[in-house]
Amino acid sequence: MASPSLGDRVIGWYGDVAARNLEQHPGFVRGWLMTGFRAMQAKTDHVPDRTLLPSGNEGYALFMDSVVDALGDVDREVITSIFVPNEMFHAMGLLPVTAEAVASFASGAQAEGAFIANAEGRGIPETYCSYHRILMGMALSGVLRSPRLLASCTVACDANNLTFKALAKHWGVPHYYVDVPEDVSAESIAYVADQLRQLGALAEGTYGKTLDSDALVQACQRSQHTMRLLAQTLPARRGRYLANTMTIELMQMLDFHLSLGTPRCQQLAQHMLRDFGNAKRFDGLNLVWAHVSPYFLATIGDQINVVPTAQIVASDMMFDAVDVATQPLYGPQTPYEFMAERLVRNCFNGPSTRRAQRLLELAQQTDAQGVVLFCHWGCKQTAGAAQIIRTTLEDAGYPTLVLDGDACDRQNCMPGQLGTRMSAFLELLQNQKEGADGPSEH
Amino acid sequence: MALQSTKPSLSTQGKKDTNQQVGQHVVYYACKYTPVELLAGFGAKARLAEADVSSFDEADRLAHVNLCGYGKGLIVRMLQPDVHEAVFVTCCDVIKRAYDVLKAQDKFDFIYMLDLPHKRGQAEVRLFRERLRRLAEAYAEYSGRTFDVGAALAAFQPPLPRTDERVTLVGAHATKAVLHAVGTDLGCKVENQTCTNRQLLVTPPPQLARMAADASCSACDDQVTRTGDGADAGRAGGSLDAFLDWYADALLQQMPCMRMDDVEPRSQLTSRRGQRGVIYHTMKFCDYYGFEYAEAIQKENVPMVKIETDGTSQSAGQLRTRLEAFGETLRGSDVAKEVVSKRGVSRKGVYAMGVDSGSTSTDAVIMDAQRNIVAQVILPTGARATQSAERAKAQVLQQAGLDESDMTIKVATGYGRDNIPGMDSSITEITCHAKGAHYLAPQVRSVIDIGGQDSKVIHLSPDGEVVNFVMNDKCAAGTGRFMEAMARVLEMPLDQFCQEGLKWKKEVKISSMCTVFAESEVVSLVAQDTATADVIHGLDESVARKTATLAKRVNAEPPYLMTGGVAQNEGVVHALEDVLGAPVQTHEDSQLCGAIGAALLGLESLQQA
Repeated sequence: MASPSLGDRVIGWYGDVAARNLEQHPGFVRGWLMTGFRAMQAKTDHVPDRTLLPSGNEGYALFMDSVVDALGDVDREVITSIFVPNEMFHAMGLLPVTAEAVASFASGAQAEGAFIANAEGRGIPETYCSYHRILMGMALSGVLRSPRLLASCTVACDANNLTFKALAKHWGVPHYYVDVPEDVSAESIAYVADQLRQLGALAEGTYGKTLDSDALVQACQRSQHTMRLLAQTLPARRGRYLANTMTIELMQMLDFHLSLGTPRCQQLAQHMLRDFGNAKRFDGLNLVWAHVSPYFLATIGDQINVVPTAQIVASDMMFDAVDVATQPLYGPQTPYEFMAERLVRNCFNGPSTRRAQRLLELAQQTDAQGVVLFCHWGCKQTAGAAQIIRTTLEDAGYPTLVLDGDACDRQNCMPGQLGTRMSAFLELLQNQKEGADGPSEH
Repeated sequence: MALQSTKPSLSTQGKKDTNQQVGQHVVYYACKYTPVELLAGFGAKARLAEADVSSFDEADRLAHVNLCGYGKGLIVRMLQPDVHEAVFVTCCDVIKRAYDVLKAQDKFDFIYMLDLPHKRGQAEVRLFRERLRRLAEAYAEYSGRTFDVGAALAAFQPPLPRTDERVTLVGAHATKAVLHAVGTDLGCKVENQTCTNRQLLVTPPPQLARMAADASCSACDDQVTRTGDGADAGRAGGSLDAFLDWYADALLQQMPCMRMDDVEPRSQLTSRRGQRGVIYHTMKFCDYYGFEYAEAIQKENVPMVKIETDGTSQSAGQLRTRLEAFGETLRGSDVAKEVVSKRGVSRKGVYAMGVDSGSTSTDAVIMDAQRNIVAQVILPTGARATQSAERAKAQVLQQAGLDESDMTIKVATGYGRDNIPGMDSSITEITCHAKGAHYLAPQVRSVIDIGGQDSKVIHLSPDGEVVNFVMNDKCAAGTGRFMEAMARVLEMPLDQFCQEGLKWKKEVKISSMCTVFAESEVVSLVAQDTATADVIHGLDESVARKTATLAKRVNAEPPYLMTGGVAQNEGVVHALEDVLGAPVQTHEDSQLCGAIGAALLGLESLQQA
C-alpha cells in the first residue's frame, strides 16, 4: 500500500480535528466543516481539474454549490431521500439536499468515523446503511442544523423511512413520507401524485411560500428535457473517453437527482452530450456500475479513474428512470403525475428483475464489456438482488463482479482485497475482449 | 409505453399441484400483515415460515450474507420440499428480496407478493382492499376454490387482553428457540409482541357472521341469490366483497410494525403502565428494530434489555447471561432469596465463597460475615474450565485455612458458572460485577469490563444496583482476544505489547474494529515502517472508541471503573479517558470483581434467609 499523499494527510488532519471536537464543540465542528466545504466549492469554481471533461468539472461544481448552499441556508433547505422529485422545491426557490450528498461531504472530509461512532453510541445499528449512520450522527451530535422540512419516499431503501422519521422527531419538524406502490399502473401513479400534491401543500405552509403552478410545469419541462438529453448520452458514450472518476460519476448522478428541473442541470446534460460527442476514442474496458461506488479507494480508483485501460461508462443510479424520458406516460403539463411516474417506474422500485433489466439495457446501449455491482454496506435491496442481477447479466453475456464494501465508511472496506478482485476482473474482461479465456470470478 | 392493467405478482409456474389434488392447501408466510383469514376462506392453512437451522449457506449463496437472519432463514425454510405455496408481503427490504430470490427458483405451485401500503388512511385502505381482492382472485384461479366467508371467520383469533406486571418481548421476529430461551431463562412469563406476532385488534362485524350463517343454511340450495350480492357477483363474489370491506381495514389497523409511517401506537408496547420490563430483540441487518431500540433506551423509564440474535438455532444459547441478568435486575432483592443456603453455619463462623469462571481466568474469593476478604486466588482458566474452578476453590480454601464444609454459602458466576461442582447457586456476572464494583469503589456509577471474550458496560445506581447494562455482540472486536490477536500480529508478548503502546509519539488511526480487517490494517502500517508503539496506540484508541460507543448506549456516567483483563493495559485506560472525557479508575483487585460480587450476594442472601 502506498503512503498517503500530502492532500490525503491534510484532509486526514482536517477530519481528525472535526472528530476530536465533535462531543464537546459541535458548533465549532459545523463551522470548521463548512469552512472546508466552502474552500472546496471555491476550488471547483476557480481551479478546474484539467484531467476531466468540461462537463465533469461542471457536474462537480453544481454538486458542490447545491450541497454547500443548502447546508448554509437552513431556512430554504429541505433534506430529502435521493429519489424524491425536487421540481416542486426548485419551483419554490427551496434548496433540496439528500442524505447521500450530506454524508458524502462528511466522508470526503474523512470525518465519517466520528459521526458513525456518535450514531452507534445512541443505539443506531452498526449494520445500518453508512450514509444514514453518518447523517444521523451529524444530526444527533448537533453538527447538522435542522431544516424546516424533511421529505422521503419508499423507493429503494427502508432507511428512508427510519432516518427521516427519527430526525423529524429529533428536530421537531414535519416529515412527509411518499408511499410508492410497486405496480406500474395508473392507480399507483395517481396515488403517488396525490401524495406529491400533499407534500407541495406542506412545503407551502412550512416555508410560507406559494407553489406557482406555471413554475412547477416549467421545472417539469426542464426535467423532461434533461432526462431526454441524458438518455441521448447513452449511445454517445460508446467507445468514447469519458475522463471520469468514481467521484465525478457519483456527483453527476447526485446532480441529476438533486438539481433535476433546474436550468443548470439541463445545461449539464447538454454539455455532457456535447463533450461525449467530441471526446477522443477509448479502447479500454467499459464498465457499467451498479449502485454507489467507494470513491475514496485508491486501489480501485487507480484502475478506473481517468486511465486509458478502463472506465465507468454508465451507472444504474444515474439512469434509474431513463425509460420515463424515452417512453413517457405523462407529460409536464400534468406535473404531479409526471413526477409520480418517475417514482413508480424507477428501476429501484419493485422487484430486482427491473433493476437487472435496466443494467442489461445500459450495458447493451453503451457497448460495455462488464458490470460491477457494488454492495454498499447495509443496503439490503442491493445485496439481496446481487445474485439475480449477476445471473441475468451473465446469461446475457456480460461478466459481472459483485463487490462488497462501503461507499462512505472506510472502516467497512478492505482496500487490498477489493483492488485485487477488481484487477482480476479487468484481466478477465481484457482476455475476453482479446478472445482469450480467463479465470472466472463470482 | 402504454399503461397495462395491473397484474398480480403471481406465478403458478405451471406445476401440477399435489396439495390441490389431495385437498390440502398450506400457505407459508412471513409477515403479520399476511391475509391469513382471507386464505382460510379458500380452505388454505397459513403457517409462519421459519427455519431452525445452524447455517444459512443456501441463502448466502442465492442472495447475500449481509441480510438479516430472519430473511435468510425464510429462504432456507421456503426451499424445503414440503413448501408448495407462499404468500409474501412487501414489508421490508429483506423480505422483498427473499421473495425475488425464491420466485427465481421455479419451485412453487403458488407464490405471490402482496404490496402493503406504508400508511393507513382511507386511500391506502382502498388500495389495499383492491390488492387483497387480486390475491383472492389469483388464489381462487390457482386452487379452483370459491371463497367461504364462514371459513374465513373461523380462522379469526380474538384479540388477547394484556395483563399487568407483564414483561414484553418487542422487536424483530423471534425464532421458536429464542422464544423458548426467553421463556425459560428469564424466570417469568413473557408477552410476545415481535414483528411476526399477528393479532387483529377488532372483531368481525355481526353482518359477516350472519352472511356466513346464511351461506351455511342455503348450502342445500345453490340457486338462491340473496339481496345485495348482485346478480353477477354470485354468492362467493358477494360475500368476498363484504368480507374485504371490513377486512382490508382490520388487517391494516393491527399494532403497526416499524415499517409503517405512523408508529405512534407502538409506544403502548413499552409504556410504563402495567409494564414490568421489556426485552428488545434485534437482528443484525434488521434496521427497523435496532432503530426503535435506540429511541426506547433514551427514555429508560422501563427496565429494558436488548438481545441480538442472528436467527440461527445456536444464537438463542448465547442469550442466557443477558436474560438471567435481566431477570435478576427485574427481581431485585429476590435474587438474594434465590441463593438462601440450606446449610448450617460452621463453628468457625460465616463464610461465603465466590467463584468467577471466566474465559481467561478463574478467580475465587472467600469473605467473612463482616464482608472482609479472607482469601483470594486468580488462576488461568486454560482448556478445562471445570478443573480450573476446582483448583481455584482448593487453593482459596487452603489460603484461608478453611475446609469446604466451613463455607456457609458458595456462589458461582462467569461463563462457566453452571459447570462448577458443589456450588449452591449461580448468578450472572452482570449482577456480580455490579455488586463487586460497588464494594471496591462505592462512588462508581459505571463499570467498564473488558474481558477475554466479551466487553460490557454496567450503569449503576448510587446504591450499586444495576440500572442498565450492555454487552458486545459475539464478535471479538474490542475485547481482550482482539488485543491478543493484534499482539500476535506484531510478534510481541501481551505484557510488552501493553507497555510498548505507552511510548507512542504520533497519532495513527486504525479505522477497523473487525479483528480480520484490523489485522490487515496493522500489517499495512508495519509495511509502511510505522513505529510499533504508534500502531499499538492506534489499536488502544480503536478499542476505546468501540467501548465508548457501548457506554453511550446505557447512558453511562462518571465515575468510571474499569475491570477485566484489559484494565491492566494502561494504554487502553488512557485512551478511554480521552474518549469519555473523564477519569477512568482501575482497582488492584478489579480482576476479582465478579468473585467478590458473588460472595457478597451470598452473604446478603444469608442475611435475608
